[in-house]
Amino acid sequence: MMRMEIALILVLLFVGFIYFSAGRRNTPLHKTFSALLIITPLHLAFDAATVYTVNHLETVPPVLNEILHRLFIGTMPIVVYLFYRYISILVEEETKKPVPFHLVAKIYLGLAELGAILLPVHYAVTEKGNYSDGIHISVCYISVAFYLFVCLWLLLKNRRQIDGKKKAAIGVALIIEGIVSVLQAINPTWLISGMGITLMTLAFYLTLENPDILRAELTEQKMSMLYLKSQVNPHFLYNTLDTIRIQAQLNGDKATADLLMRLSDFFRLSIKTDKQMTALENETELSDAYMELMCCRYPELEYNCDIDPDLGDALVPNFILQPIIENSLLHGLKNKGYRGEITVSAKMLNQNCIEIQIADTGSGFEQGVKNKIDEMLLHYDKHKTNIDSIGVLNVQKRIKLLCGKEFGLSYTENTEVGVTAHIRLPLVREEYK
Amino acid sequence: MRKLKVLLVDDEIMIREGFKRLFDWEAHGCEVVGEAADGIEALRQIDALLPDIVIMDINIPFMNGLKVIEVSRTKHPEIAYVIVSGYDDFSYCRKALQLQITDYILKPVNYEEFGSCIDSLKISMYESKTSENSDLDKGDERVISSIMRYMQEHLSEEISLSLLADEFHLNPQYISQLFKNEIGVGFLAYLTNIRIEKAKKLLLSTALSVTEISSYAGYSDYRVFTKVFKKTEGITPSQFRREFLDRKKAEI
Repeated sequence: MMRMEIALILVLLFVGFIYFSAGRRNTPLHKTFSALLIITPLHLAFDAATVYTVNHLETVPPVLNEILHRLFIGTMPIVVYLFYRYISILVEEETKKPVPFHLVAKIYLGLAELGAILLPVHYAVTEKGNYSDGIHISVCYISVAFYLFVCLWLLLKNRRQIDGKKKAAIGVALIIEGIVSVLQAINPTWLISGMGITLMTLAFYLTLENPDILRAELTEQKMSMLYLKSQVNPHFLYNTLDTIRIQAQLNGDKATADLLMRLSDFFRLSIKTDKQMTALENETELSDAYMELMCCRYPELEYNCDIDPDLGDALVPNFILQPIIENSLLHGLKNKGYRGEITVSAKMLNQNCIEIQIADTGSGFEQGVKNKIDEMLLHYDKHKTNIDSIGVLNVQKRIKLLCGKEFGLSYTENTEVGVTAHIRLPLVREEYK
Repeated sequence: MRKLKVLLVDDEIMIREGFKRLFDWEAHGCEVVGEAADGIEALRQIDALLPDIVIMDINIPFMNGLKVIEVSRTKHPEIAYVIVSGYDDFSYCRKALQLQITDYILKPVNYEEFGSCIDSLKISMYESKTSENSDLDKGDERVISSIMRYMQEHLSEEISLSLLADEFHLNPQYISQLFKNEIGVGFLAYLTNIRIEKAKKLLLSTALSVTEISSYAGYSDYRVFTKVFKKTEGITPSQFRREFLDRKKAEI
């Protein structure tokens, strides 16, 4: 039976190696898992040693046997306590409320350790093999049962608030440990308690602590941090911009003041991304601000916007105009030294459908590019995004998702040798009562 | 007409400076008589200076601007307020529509367009004054009130000084001067103001399209209407409708 323990130790050491070699943040959760990865192999090592000594009672000195047993039983409550800690931290992170069992859990740990040190050690000798028996070994069972029930209670009580993935990880770990413990209690000679602990550790490792998943989550977090930052900062940013604007105007520099005004308009409008759909008018306001700033940077650019005012409150996906305009600038007008025109217009095609056109007088499509773009926009869902097309593709994806597959973005060549983007959308208006 | 006394309330010095120096108060018959950087100081200054108009930032220390208005209203009901609000908090602007003689402007403040806000305040002040003492003994007042009534009734039509002059058998210069003297606002500013007020009323009370409303308000070209509206209100007609009707939905 020792072979299983050795295999488990090797697996855990391997997991530990990968885990510790990937640098990670110093959170309570990671600290607990690190402790688990150290204590568990230690516990398994004592387990393996006692499996040997208990079956060689004649040759091993009784004192050594007893010490190893006390170490084996003594580390068991620590391991399950750490599992409890790990799960309770997870639950606390999810529910944002403290778990009320910390004191009880610690007191129990103290009592269990006292029991492991002081209670008398017994062995059962059978023809299938020998095993530890009696009141001393019950410390293990009671500890597992105690912490298992606390964790189960935590999981069930907070099941609504806990994220599905974590719920599954905790649930599976608890079920494995429960089954293994019951089997161990029924068949003491199976000596499989170590397996339960290892599988539990592995369950958490594979679901919650896996470096790949962690990395993905980190990127996600980084993104949301950036997003959060851009949510907090803009107020500071455009209040400050406004202060600078007033100062410029006080200094008599009206041109700078006007540019700063447009820039703060642009900021204000571009962070208003809390809704997926917005009034067409808000979209054109954003592109107005954007293009006015661009026209100032490139004085030979010209911008026209002609939107039927009764389409002003038509609902369109947020942030669809500016990326298309930017695309026209970068791929059309840049090639002409930013000399030319961009015209945004919108009209009703029929009672249920509107079309927004963004026409440029840029360099037009190069040989073969038109087909490529058509193909990309047609198979928008299969296409890998590259830097060049990410804005356009993103617009296409959002329109298809929010408005339906029959709507979307397409490009044609126009009579001015430039390119016209056509955005077809359903005519939906905000309702007034 | 005597100069109107203005009190500036904002916790940011640059914004007060901007108001003070970048807007031509003189040309609008006003003068800045004081400043306050917080709610308590604002209350004290209102009591001490008895201003006609208070430019009020909402988010100020110790006591917010709305509270200041509420408190000083009971003591000085005749004071007019301009609420300065950010785009992200339209609720203050909505409040401005409910309170008497209160207008709003949006931050960042465009000082060139601020004149229309002052004009609009003056017109409301004049209207509330004439509605209080309806005995119009002075001849000028009787004339201007009938001109104003005529303009209200013919809002969807073309109105000009010469047209009014023909209608009332008066000299155009005289009518122009009449507006300046009685209301303190130029004829054109007054006309624009009542056209836009009419449009605002229609935007909120009817389901008419913007194009229709623009012609009811006397603008044959919706582009011109949208432009003027945006200039005076800081937002477009549809945005105005959206922002201010949201409130109604929320209240019901």
